[in-house]
Amino acid sequence: MSRLRIPLAVAAFLATVAARADGVAPEGNSIAYVATNLSWALQSTPEMSECPRGLNDGVREQFKLLFPEAEGQDRVFEDTQLRRQVESYHPTVAPDALPFLEGEGPVAPGLDLDGAQGAEDFTSPDGRAGIDNQMHRVLGCIANYRGPDGPIRFFEDEMVLRENYNRIIVQLNGVDSLADDPAVDVMIFRGRDKVLVDAGGLKALPGGTQRIDTRWGSRYIRHTRGRIENGVLTTEPVDLLYPWDAFYMPTDQFMWGARLRLTLAPESAEGLVAGYTDVETWYMHMLRNWSAHYQSYGKSSGPSIYKAMRRLADALPDPETGANRAISSALAAKFTQVRVMPFTEIERAAIAAAEPGVPYRGMPAQRPVAEELAETSAGTPAVAGAPVQGNH
Amino acid sequence: MRDAARGRLAASLTLAACLLPSALAGAASSEPYLPEPLPPGFRVEATELDGPVFADAKGQTLYRWPYRTMRNGVTGDAKGESNCADTASTESAGLMSPYPGGLLLPERDARPSCQALWPPAFAKDGDEGIGRWSVIERRDGRRQWAYDGAALYTSVRDRRPGDVLGGDSYRHEGDAPAVRVPIQPRPDLPPGFAVSTTFRGRLLHTARGFSVYAFDDDTATRSACDSACEHRFNPVQAPATARKHGDWSIFTRASGERQWMYRGKPLYVFAEDDRVRSLGGSDVPGWRNVYTQETPPPPAGFTVQDTSSGQVLADARGRTVYSYTCGDDAPDQLSCEHPADTQVYRLAMCGGGSAERCGKNFPYVEAPDGARSRGRLWTVVEIDPATGRLAARGQAGALRVWAYRERPVYTFAGDARPGEVNADGLGEFQAEREGFRAFWWRDDFFRAGN
Repeated sequence: MSRLRIPLAVAAFLATVAARADGVAPEGNSIAYVATNLSWALQSTPEMSECPRGLNDGVREQFKLLFPEAEGQDRVFEDTQLRRQVESYHPTVAPDALPFLEGEGPVAPGLDLDGAQGAEDFTSPDGRAGIDNQMHRVLGCIANYRGPDGPIRFFEDEMVLRENYNRIIVQLNGVDSLADDPAVDVMIFRGRDKVLVDAGGLKALPGGTQRIDTRWGSRYIRHTRGRIENGVLTTEPVDLLYPWDAFYMPTDQFMWGARLRLTLAPESAEGLVAGYTDVETWYMHMLRNWSAHYQSYGKSSGPSIYKAMRRLADALPDPETGANRAISSALAAKFTQVRVMPFTEIERAAIAAAEPGVPYRGMPAQRPVAEELAETSAGTPAVAGAPVQGNH
Repeated sequence: MRDAARGRLAASLTLAACLLPSALAGAASSEPYLPEPLPPGFRVEATELDGPVFADAKGQTLYRWPYRTMRNGVTGDAKGESNCADTASTESAGLMSPYPGGLLLPERDARPSCQALWPPAFAKDGDEGIGRWSVIERRDGRRQWAYDGAALYTSVRDRRPGDVLGGDSYRHEGDAPAVRVPIQPRPDLPPGFAVSTTFRGRLLHTARGFSVYAFDDDTATRSACDSACEHRFNPVQAPATARKHGDWSIFTRASGERQWMYRGKPLYVFAEDDRVRSLGGSDVPGWRNVYTQETPPPPAGFTVQDTSSGQVLADARGRTVYSYTCGDDAPDQLSCEHPADTQVYRLAMCGGGSAERCGKNFPYVEAPDGARSRGRLWTVVEIDPATGRLAARGQAGALRVWAYRERPVYTFAGDARPGEVNADGLGEFQAEREGFRAFWWRDDFFRAGN
């Protein structure tokens, strides 16, 4: 850290402490926050120390590598563009014929999800050990997802505030103190109102109101418990379907064993939502929001990401194949305080009857895995000199 | 019954419950339009989805091909000229990022020319323009009818007067192909109103796009919407110059305020609508959106299901129903979504090139024995499952499936439960260009009014 950064960091720390919750109980022992920002928590340093071999290629670059233009040689649509589209819609775990550059350690944000320290774990930027965030390895060296302003990262984050579909609300009940409370009830649901913003339209303001969405959003209603220590909320794991329209599509994400670690203040909350992201749900979410054109904004490639994600998945083994279906991950999240309108009797009944949403289970009819593995990369020719990634 | 199960049942509406007649149903079955001078023999045909459309002397619907800016260039017809050629394109144009042009197109030996699918509306010797109609000269020297300067065509998909199977009047936004659209007479509406084609009918709304509503308890002489009600449903004011005309008349409220009335019902906007073409006001008991004409109902047995974003059309088991959209990347932007078109794109998308896997992932919505076509919009077509193309008459193994505008409809095997829409937008450019889209009966978050 440079000399200049030290006083800045101290100032930022003091400002954070000042903004933290005091020991006062919120009105009615309840407080709610609406999500305004979400992005995958990755280590993205300006010097790219986590990507010593550089950043990955995207759809456009891979196409040029795989199917170079050659004088007098025809390129056939089915053998080129359509083949790549098939590999995107029907991704496989066959080894990638193209290089894939993983995000490297030792530092990555996240939480210790399994209570153990393994060889694949990271250390968080604030020094916590045992961080489980294999998602950093998948997305850490893809420009689209890197901070601070990778294209997909930017849009996905911006849409959280902009679109009502994404109106995720965390309500804490039974709160005696925002600074310390050993047991609080936590309810997660979707609101149905726009967020109060300033005149510029991009900054959320506290004090807005929200109604619960039980009409369309009952699948997002979840309950868990948590504790507040020194102004930091930590919740017990809960399987969580959450709405995330990333680019005007009604799409969701699913996190197994999701837990919140949020620094609370009377007007805001900020921190991490961490757990094991369901791979098939993540990939379908990406496909539906970000087709090849959008993936090219910041050089990502669906087929390569899928292979890496399946390879690095570290939880929820499939009972038949043994392959892991979920990957450790974390979301960087910001919330703003809102007032939730009291629930009506109809809404209370809907809450009681709500069935939690489920993850997407994948395209049912796929090629046999053995057939996939017999190929280098689902039909694409191997590129000379490209290191082939192994299968875990 | 468990509470949860009861809740799910309540969320799963039967289509019959959703198809309650609108406040205006039965008052008129087709949309009034403003008459205008037409070329000799040309006429207006009433249609089920698009409302009135212009047709040639044989009753063939007339289409234009609007100039459209694509990701990498433009295509379509500029005013006064036709780019629809009689030679078939064999290479992709690279109009859509990120893939390059110059790729040899699928089934190029059998690929039709633009003109083969879109015969120009040729003008005869001596034909002269009239009103908004003109005659332009094509590059080959032949004369072609134009409307507002746009060259006109018919579609080989249309076989009978009133067919609109080549294109439609839905809003095609974003990265949709450069599609052909039917030309239509102007709706007979007072200033300040407009109408849009939606899945459920031709939705009446203000010129700014906000839906108008009618109240069941209102009559042509009495409004049951009192002052408290008026705070939620604001009367649509009629100016002092407004006069009775056709379906339109003036209602005078107790306050003396003049209010537009359509087919005997005073009109309102919903104060809580924060988006255009909303159906939200119809959640209030007794209130309904207003359509100049409603589309025929989907086939018996179809259902409507609640999703996280609104309601979708679903099959009898509650599985979301999808349509397949496709336009190729050639300069002439031919459709690849009709079963008479190439199936290469669809089979790649849904089955990795395998018709068998495609049928498992995206099974057709099969029509039950004895099911028959109902009108033009929903029909039963016979499909060869091995190719995805129309089956030959009497072909063994052919599937009888439901089709919307002659395009088969599908469910997605990846939807495990009613209300899931896991394949909506799956494809290129969120399936605006190619891929599967759910039939949104109502969408409160994205495609208002649909």
